[in-house]
Formats: sequence, structure tokens, C-alpha cells
Amino acid sequence: MENLVYIALFAPLVGSLFAALFAMTPKNLITAFVTSGLLFVSWVASSSLLMYVMDHGTISVNMMEWIAAGNLTIDFGFQVDAITAVMMVVVTTVSTVVHVYSIGYMEHDKGFNRFFSYLSAFVFSMMILVMSDNFAGLFIGWEGVGVCSWLLIGFWYHKADVSTDVNPSISPSWAANEAFIVNRIADLAMLIGIFLIYWNVGSLNYDVFFAAIPSLENSLLVSIGIALFIGAMGKSAQFPLHTWLADAMEGPTPVSALIHAATMVTAGVYLVVRANPLYAEIPNVSLFIAYLGTFVAIFAASMALVNRDLKRIIAYSTLSQLGYMFAAAGLGAYWVALFHLAAHAFFKALLFLGAGNVMHAMHDELDIFKMGGLKKAMRGTYLYMGLASLALAGIFPLAGFFSKDTILEVAFNEHTYIIWFVLWITAGLTAFYSFRQVFLTFDGDERYKKETDAHPHEVQNFVLVAMAPLAILAIIFGFFMNPFKEFATTILPAYEMSEHTHHIAWILIIVTTLIAVSGIVLAYKKYANGLVRDEKMENSFIYKLLQNQYYIPKFYMEFIAKPYKEISDILWNKVDMKVVDATVDGIAKIIYFTGDKSRKMQTGNLSDYLNWMGVGAMLLIVITALSMSLS
Amino acid sequence: MDNILSILIFFPALAGLLGFIVDKDSARAYGISVATIEFLLALWLWMIFDGSNGGMQFIEMVPLIADFGISYYLGVDGISLFIVVMATLMVLLGMIGLSIKKDIKNMIISLLFLEMTMVGVFLALDAIIFYLFWELSLVPMLYIIGAWGGPRRVYAAVKFFLYTFFGSLIMLVGMLFLAYLYHDITGVWSFAITDWYALVLPFKYQMWLFIAFFFGFAIKVPMFPFHTWLPYAHGQAPTIGSVILAAVLLKMGTYGFIRFSLPILPDASVEMITPIAILSLIMIVYTAMIAYSQKDMKQVIAYSSVSHMGIIMLGVFAMNAEGISGSIFLMLSHGVVSGALFMLVGVIYDRRHTKMMSEFGGLASVMPKYATIFGIMLMASVGLPLTIGFVGEFLVLLGFYKISPIMTLIAGSTIILGAVYMLSLYKQTFFGPVTNQENHKLKDLDKKEMMSLLPLVAIVVWLGVYPKPILEPIDNSVKHLVAFMDKKAKTQEAKDIIISTTLIREEK
Amino acid sequence: MIGLSHYMILSGLLFSIGLIGVLRRKNLLMLFFATEIMLNAANIAFAAASHYYGDLSGQMFAFFVIAVAASEVAVGLGLLIVLYKKNGSLDLDNLTVMKG
Repeated sequence: MENLVYIALFAPLVGSLFAALFAMTPKNLITAFVTSGLLFVSWVASSSLLMYVMDHGTISVNMMEWIAAGNLTIDFGFQVDAITAVMMVVVTTVSTVVHVYSIGYMEHDKGFNRFFSYLSAFVFSMMILVMSDNFAGLFIGWEGVGVCSWLLIGFWYHKADVSTDVNPSISPSWAANEAFIVNRIADLAMLIGIFLIYWNVGSLNYDVFFAAIPSLENSLLVSIGIALFIGAMGKSAQFPLHTWLADAMEGPTPVSALIHAATMVTAGVYLVVRANPLYAEIPNVSLFIAYLGTFVAIFAASMALVNRDLKRIIAYSTLSQLGYMFAAAGLGAYWVALFHLAAHAFFKALLFLGAGNVMHAMHDELDIFKMGGLKKAMRGTYLYMGLASLALAGIFPLAGFFSKDTILEVAFNEHTYIIWFVLWITAGLTAFYSFRQVFLTFDGDERYKKETDAHPHEVQNFVLVAMAPLAILAIIFGFFMNPFKEFATTILPAYEMSEHTHHIAWILIIVTTLIAVSGIVLAYKKYANGLVRDEKMENSFIYKLLQNQYYIPKFYMEFIAKPYKEISDILWNKVDMKVVDATVDGIAKIIYFTGDKSRKMQTGNLSDYLNWMGVGAMLLIVITALSMSLS
Repeated sequence: MDNILSILIFFPALAGLLGFIVDKDSARAYGISVATIEFLLALWLWMIFDGSNGGMQFIEMVPLIADFGISYYLGVDGISLFIVVMATLMVLLGMIGLSIKKDIKNMIISLLFLEMTMVGVFLALDAIIFYLFWELSLVPMLYIIGAWGGPRRVYAAVKFFLYTFFGSLIMLVGMLFLAYLYHDITGVWSFAITDWYALVLPFKYQMWLFIAFFFGFAIKVPMFPFHTWLPYAHGQAPTIGSVILAAVLLKMGTYGFIRFSLPILPDASVEMITPIAILSLIMIVYTAMIAYSQKDMKQVIAYSSVSHMGIIMLGVFAMNAEGISGSIFLMLSHGVVSGALFMLVGVIYDRRHTKMMSEFGGLASVMPKYATIFGIMLMASVGLPLTIGFVGEFLVLLGFYKISPIMTLIAGSTIILGAVYMLSLYKQTFFGPVTNQENHKLKDLDKKEMMSLLPLVAIVVWLGVYPKPILEPIDNSVKHLVAFMDKKAKTQEAKDIIISTTLIREEK
Repeated sequence: MIGLSHYMILSGLLFSIGLIGVLRRKNLLMLFFATEIMLNAANIAFAAASHYYGDLSGQMFAFFVIAVAASEVAVGLGLLIVLYKKNGSLDLDNLTVMKG
């Protein structure tokens, strides 16, 4: 079994390194085949590990010692338990699909080989993140996915900086830097959490830490919990560190599907689920997580309502769904969070890949107001995106229905009715914006004929086939909820609904389905028969507020980024050059100046020198006499 | 071979003397072969070094002025070994990448003499010998900056020389006073550092001595507010000068703190943690911000060096094995990474004769190999896990957390601010479309440049993934040091702060 | 009775005369004479103190000083002659080559 662990982990790395060999040469299909093939190998290994873990329980392997200093010992240790196995299968499934999809999507790109190298490197980092058995290993993966995300968002680095009025991102490279730096802010908090754990437990291993939790003070646990959660907030783009996710859409679409929907952004949820023994002990922090998640759910959904950018809408919906996951995890229903994570990964990746098809057909046009009526040309994509949107909206019997509904039930069961209500509203909003997007893109009048010169066509067949596994999973995954629960709760706390909730569960289901359906119906009425612009509404304050993302990116720009630059300039020009350095030079100048002045003493005349000598001798005598008389 | 340390020190100097009669055209080849032999000698020293022994090894001692206890006294432990290896490596790679045409023979000879002084500083165990090499190292560097530097080279060279020389003189006074105290207490003269270790001094004297040593070391590090010579020196020095300066010469300061201040003056060191930490925090945050506002690539890296040296200082004063080992590891990693970054800037300077970021843009399309290696070094510089930069930074911050969580939080901002200035540099230089016509025809790295950079890339990855071969001997010596400090410290406060891991281990 | 202090006063007076001579005279030759006076003042003090303490080393030192003074004059006068030949004057106000 150990070998399987290594195969699952290192196959993507081997693929990445292989592709890297060709990074500077023209397109070579072999890189794509090798990386995709190795990912499939990794998927097979992960699936077999899942089976094995189901029967035999956790596997742990210790590869070698990494860092040892003082009392600290960090190993490259990996463990595969239920949580990890689920994450591994989700990651490898989505990434295999995305790899195959990218063969079509990146077909004409100059950086074809480089792309596959980065993509596989990302999968490797993600595998380290989920498989590590200690916080330091987690941090390796955590930063590793950050770098790969940086590389991939900025993949089209050659694009110039262009300012847009609504979207703050000016170029892929700008968005990449933003993502990296924002994530680093959160990573700092995570490091602090790691330090806290080390100095109080003496080890960074999950098992050791979790075993020590009962003996630690509550205030300390709260600090650790907060620090780790801030780390999670960065990766999972929770408010207020959320701006980078929408800007990350500058990257190629397969990247958005893999990293910014299915895997990396869920790392924060994974961390909270993984650290469930910790968060179970600190209910206040957990409740805060739940409330923050709920807030982000509706906050992101509201921004998605008015956005015109195909990919950004999906990005905001990802943000919103991450909010759902945190709400579930915060309320103690860890396995539900994990279940929603997996289900969401499948249908959201599908949605993104569909959006990629549309982009390809429309020659990288992203404005859904300029599309419409695409279903004629792109039937397969329409089907996929419609399906994924239904799943996202939570319509029976698709995967989203089961997972989202359970989260709402949990919120109800915990008597946190505010959370339930907000999430319920959000479910309606989700349905509305998802179908607003679908209808504006695929139904109604064919606006693209006027607005653009694109001739939409369906993508290659193998790309559609490659997307099929995700579509199938989006349909059937919900029915695996009970086996999933059984499996996940072997290590996660089993969350049981109270008797009361059990009784009214069907009412909740109906209520939720009702609002989702009415969201779809509303979207249908408004957009399915063509776009009618409502100038008055578009100029209203709220519309503008939402369109500008509550002016938060602007706020960050004006009040953080720009002042930082200005202060830096002042520190350099005014403080460092004019004060610190000038002081040093000043001292040197004083010495020079006094030397220059006293040079006059040196007249060249011997008798002057002798006079000075006499004065000096007298002075010495006086000083000696004085010091003798004083002592 | 018992005299390996002497050979290591004087071989480059003798070869440098012979260099005067070498033909001008073959000077570079001669220099590279000497540096290679020297590097192999250093590697061999590492091979025969006993990593599990935390004490001094290969000790050589010849009395010079017996009446005053001055002797030619050398030794190596885990702390100094790897700095020596790194110094010889950086000289070798710097020579391979050398692109200077003017007076190449003089350059080679200066470098070889510089190598002698650098190796000598780290191997000396006698304060006078230490001081001798310490000051001698200024001379070749002064010459390198002053003869091959940029337009303001004389100002920069003189500033570098006088500033550091001023600090060293105060340090010399401290050394003489320490020797005097030693004579006062024991009745014999000795300048041997190991003898001084045994000295238990009154707290008041410790403080004075600490301050005296502080000036010598702090200016070399350079600590805020004594750092302003560094941007000038880097800005004006030729590539090779910057590489050696950043990689090795700055490390003398932090090494001095570990070799002198900590074990000789443990109580004063503990007492001074807070002021030094505050200065270090200013270094970290303030210079990181200044680096962000630079327009010259080389200045960015120069200021980033100061910022990283701040982290190293924090680690030295963490007073536990995690922090000190981390800071020594960080010295090595910073040497490798900043050396490589300076070489990389040199590459582009050779092609365009400018280092201004505004002149570039889109280089990643024109020079992919260059962009890749720069990217790897950038990631190592911002401390990405699995690169060499992470291990040291992580250990230092981890170690210092025990002293003060709040300060660690502020120091930790380095991972954010470092990313800010490095990524902004990378974006301005490598990303975007190629706007400047001159950049269209730039050639990618040639063989010579690859030869000097690829080993560093390999080291960055190797020691990031598997730091054990280096970290273990360092850690053993540091544990030795910390246990010693714990035993020697007089005040209870100091004993509380110094965490001796060996004792904890024994209890288990 | 003439005591040590008398000798010392004499020596001090002579030394002062010499010193004033050194400080005020402008001719290099006169400076030499003034220096000789100062040296001899010291000699008197040495001899007197030697007699007073009954220790011969003071008188020995006086002989030393005389020998040094003699050799100094020999070398010094030689240099003066060269200087005079070169400049045609021994006036210090004219010899300011070393002006800074």
C-alpha cells in the first residue's frame, strides 16, 4: 500500500518535470499525453487507496526527515485516511479531466508544454497539501499551490496592463501577483498558528496535536483556531481576503476550473475539516466561521447577480458555495462540508469547462450581454452547463441538491435560524444568477452577430467526452450521500439531526426547492427571450454598488496599495536618504570640515609649530597638575 | 592532514601571489582552477568533518607572541564549516561567471586574496587573528569596488571602507579590554576565543563589551541605522563584488555575534534582546518597504539583503537552538540566493548596460531560461517551502516566537513584504509585452552563465528538500553553544530565556 | 647652604630661557643654541638630583645627554649648512615649504 501512496503523490510530479523538459520548445503532444496519463495513474492509485482505506483504515507512511533543529523534527510524513482519500480522489478526478480538456483548449497556445508542466505541478502540491500528516507538510502544499496558482493565473504573462472601469484587474500578471500576496497575508497567520502549536505541543503532527488538545488551555486553542482559520480564509478567499479570486479569472479557463473552483480554494475548508478536533473544542470560533461563511455566501451571490463577465459570475458563485461549506463546517457538520466540497468540485469544474468552451467559441469574449442564442451552435456545451447550473441551484436529483439541502437542514437543526434564512435566500439567488447566465449565453436573440465577429462552433468531440465524467458525477454523486457519510464519519464526528428536524425535513426540502425553482423561473422570464436592458435599474445605486463589488477592490487599491507605495517612496527619498544616510555623511563632513579648518595651523613655519608645542606642553602640565590635585 | 585549515586559508593567497606571473590571457582560467581546488579542499574538509561532534575540530595552534597570549589558532565547527564552504563556492561561481574584461588579472588576484581573508575570518579562533583577517578583507573589496565599479565607485568604496573600519576599531578596543580582563582575572594573557569562553564576567562589563562588539558587527551586518553604506557599495560594485559582499562579507557580522557576543557575554546578550530585536524589526519592515520603491533592480536586491539580514539577527537572538540553527542556515541560503540574484542582475547589465526596471518588460518572452532561473531564485528569496529560503526563515521565526509572539508577527510580515517587492520587480521586468525595441534581440543565457547559475539552482532545490546534511552538523554545534550559554549565564532571567535543548533531551 | 631647590630653580630658569629662545628666535642656528641651553638645564637638574639621592645613574644620564647633544649638533649643523647653501638664509619665516 505504501507504494500506492507514493505513486498517487509523485506521478503528477514526474509528469510535471517531464513536461518542464519541453517547456521552451514548441508544442509537443507527448507532454500532454504523459502528464494526463500519469494523472490517470495517480487517480487509479487514489481510488484504490480509497477502497483500501474503506476496508482497513488509515495508512501512514514516513518518507524521510525534512527539518530537524533543536527539539523540532519535521518529517515528510503522509497519511491517507477518509478525509484525505476523498480529497485525493476529488483532486485527481477533476485534474485528470482538466488535463485532457486542456489538450483541446490550449491547442494553439505557444506555451502548451509549459502549461501542462505547471498544471501537474499544481496537482502535486495539492496532493502534498491533503496527504501530509503534519502542519509543516500542509504548509508546503499550501504555499506550493499558491505558487502554481501564481504561475497559472499569470500564464499569459505577455498581456499588457489594461485598466478597466469595473474590474480592478489590469493584466494576468497583476492578478497573479495579487493572488500570491493576498494569500501570503493569510499564510503569515497560519505560520503563527503553527508556531503556537509547536511551542505548546512540541510537535507539528496532526495526531500528536489532536491528542494534546484536551490538556491545552481554551484561550490557547482559540488563538490557534483563529490563526489557522485566517490561513484558511486566504486560500478559500473568504471576506475580506476575497478579491483575488475574481481577478484570478484572468488565467486560462482550465486553470479556473481546477484551481479556483474545484481544488485549491477548497483547501481552507479541508483545513477546518482536518482540524475538527480543534474546532469542536472552541464553539465560539466555530460559530464565527459559520456566520462568516453565511455572510460570504450571500455577499458573493449578490455580486454575481449583476456581473456581466461569464467567468466572474462563476467565480462569485464559487465564493458563495465556499461560504456554504464553511457554514457547515462551522456548525460542526464536518462531513457535510466535505460532501458539499466534493459535489461542488464536480459540478463547478464542469461549469467552468463549459464556460471555457463558450470562450473559445466567442474568441475570448466574456461579456454575456454580447452572447445569446448559442445553444444552436453548441448543444453539448449547453447541456453540460445547464446540468451543472441545475446542480448548483440544488435541483433534485443532482448532486447539489443533496449537499446543499443537508447544509440547510444542519443550520435549522442548530437553531441558528439566521444562518438558515440567509442560506435559504442565497439558494434562491444562486438559482437566479446561474440561470441568468445560462439563458443570456445560450437562449434568446443572437446578439453576438451584431456585437462581435465570432462564428461560434462546438468544441472537438474528445473535449466533450472528457467532460462527461464530471457530468455523470454531478448527476449521480448525490445518491452516494449515505455511503459517503458512513465512510467519512469513520474519523469525522457523526452529525445527527435531532428528532424534530427529522420530522420536518421534508418541509425544509420543499421550501428550499421552491425558492430555487422560483429563482430559475424568474431568470427564465427575464432573460430567456432576449436581453432587455433596464437603464434605470442599471444606474441605480445598488446595481452600481454590486457591479463595483461594493467598491472593495477600489478601497484596497486606494487605501492599502497606493499608500503603501507612497510611504515606501517617502521612506526611501526622505527618511533613508535625507535622514539616515545624511547623518552618516554629516558626521564624515564634520570630520572633514574640522580638518580643513585646523589645516591653517600648519603654516610651514617652524617657530609657529614650536609655539603650538609649547601650548600643548603647558596644557598637559596643567591637566596633570589638576588631575593630581583632584585625586 | 592536520593542517587542512591553514592550507584552506593560505592556498588562495599563495596562488594569488603566483598569479602575478601568470599570463594575462590565461588569468581567468588560472583563477578558476585555483578556486576549484580551494572549493574541493573545502568539500573535503566537510567530508572528514565529524558532524555529530558539536565542538571545535582540526584545531591548529602555534604561539606567535607568547607573552601576550597571541597565537595562530584555528579551528572549525558546524557553525563556521558551511560558511567556509559557501564562501569558496561563491568565489568559484563568481569567477566562472566573471564578465569583466578590464584588468582581469588584477581582479583574479584580488579575489584570491579576498578568499583568503574570508576563509580566515571564519576559521580563526584567536581574536587577533580574527581581527587581522576581518580588517584585511576590506582591502581587496575596496579595490574591487574602487577599480571596477560604476560612476560613483570611489565614493562608495571609501564609504564602505571607512564605515566598516570605524566599527571594527571599536570592536578592537572591546577585544583589548576583554584580554585585559582575562589577564586581570587569571593572571595570564590570552587572546584565544576559547579561553575567553571560560570567563565569567560581571554584568556591567558584559554590557560595555557587548556594545563595543556590537558596533563592529552591526555595521558589517549591516543593521539599521548603520546600513546606508550597503546600497552604495552594491549599487556601484561590479557584479562579482556584489556577489561576494552579499554572500559572504555580510555574514561576518552575524557570525561575529554568534562566535563572540553570545557565548562570551550571555547575560548581556539576553539583556539586549529587545533593543536588537527592535532594530531587526525596523530592518525587516523598513528596508522591505524601501526595496519596493527602488527603480534599480540591483538596489532592490541590495535592500532585500538588509531585510533578510534582519531575520538572521532575530534568529541569532532567539536564544534557542531552533532560532540560532535557523539563522545560520539562513545565512547560507541568503548567501546562495542573493549571490545568484546579483549574478542574474549582472547578466542583464552585461547585455543592456542598465539596471533600471523601467527599461525592461516582457523579458520572459525573450529570455525564457533567464526568466526561469530568476523565478526560482525569486521564490527562494521569498521563502517558498521546498526551496532553501524556507528552512532558515521558518526556523528563525519559529525560534523567535518563544521570545515574543508580537515581534514574530511583525517579523513575519517579511513573507508578505518580500513577496510584494520581489513580485513587483518580476512583473515590471519579465511580464507584459516587450515595449523597448532594444530588448527584442537580447540573447538568452549563454553557456558560461548557465555554468555559474545552474549549481546554485541545484543547491536551492536540494537543500530545500533535504537540508539535513547541513542542518544536522549546524544544529549539533548550536546545541553545544546553547547548552554552554545556559550553563554560563549568571542571571536567572538569562537562564530562563536561554532554552538548552540538550538538557531537555536528557530529562526525556 | 645651597640645596637641591636652588639647583632646581637654576635649572628651571635656564630651561625657561632656552624655551623662550626656541619659541621666539627666528634664526635656526639660534634655535640650536636655545636647545642646547635646555639640554644643559636638564643636565644640571640630573646632576643635582643624582647628588641629592646619592644615586649615580642621574649623572650617567647627564653624560648620555651630553653625548646625544654633541651628535645632534654634529648632524644638525651639517644639515644647516646644506640648508643655508640651498636657500641663502636660515630665517624660519622664509622656510615655509611645508605650509598645509
